[in-house]
Amino acid sequence: MLGSLRTSFTGYLTYRGGEGQVSFLLHRVTGLGLLFFLTIHIVDTALVYFAPHLYEHALELYRSTPFMLGEIGLVFCVLFHGLNGLRIAYYDLFTTAGGEIKRVRKSVWATFVITIILWTPVAGIMGYKLLYHNFGFFGGK
Amino acid sequence: MTIRRTVKIKSNYEIVAWKWMRYSAILLIPLVWVHVWIQDILVGPQHITLDYVEKRWSMVGWQIYDILLLSFAFAHGMNGLRQVIVDHIHSRRARMMFGWLIFLAWVVITFIGGLAIVGAAHRNLVGFN
Repeated sequence: MLGSLRTSFTGYLTYRGGEGQVSFLLHRVTGLGLLFFLTIHIVDTALVYFAPHLYEHALELYRSTPFMLGEIGLVFCVLFHGLNGLRIAYYDLFTTAGGEIKRVRKSVWATFVITIILWTPVAGIMGYKLLYHNFGFFGGK
Repeated sequence: MTIRRTVKIKSNYEIVAWKWMRYSAILLIPLVWVHVWIQDILVGPQHITLDYVEKRWSMVGWQIYDILLLSFAFAHGMNGLRQVIVDHIHSRRARMMFGWLIFLAWVVITFIGGLAIVGAAHRNLVGFN
């Protein structure tokens, strides 16, 4: 079992599949990251019902600087995984034979670019809130 | 002249799961993005409180929204995890074991989340405190 794991991980790093492979890897990593966060998020939000007094503690954690930085990263994962998933669904469901390779390559680049374009203002707004609430910038406390 | 041939493939679990990932993805875009937009950008963790969540869950519309979000997102994620594990672990026994573990975790955590969404609005009725 460990042998096959090692083979696939070294394969990930040494296989030179270009931008397609980068998007495949990023889709995996962001997907697993999102599932990890989602699991925690479901359980901590369930505290509202099961242990309301503990929910405020969970919220304190979410307001802390490392968590708020993590949330900016989380939004990146949501945007990239969503856009790339939409791209995959489009080629798999609505084109024959997965589309022409040149077009697919272009669509991978378009996904990276749109992700950054959408993420930048969001990261700005969330960064502003972090600086305002946790560091007293812009007249915050 | 083109000849069109249609081949009927017998459906199986993997085909259904493959389709599920793509169709649920299309639905998850509006569900997750709107959720993140409202809670992270418009409201933000500084303004989310116990009272805020309870008020939200006292509205049937938001209850339905959150139940859809919970069931689609978590099933999509857990099946994704299963796919990653099948890619990396090749022994039949280990795959079976992880499959059951993921299934069990999926059922339990979905149930916990769903109960919270429905229960918080009916705290007095259900009496769990």
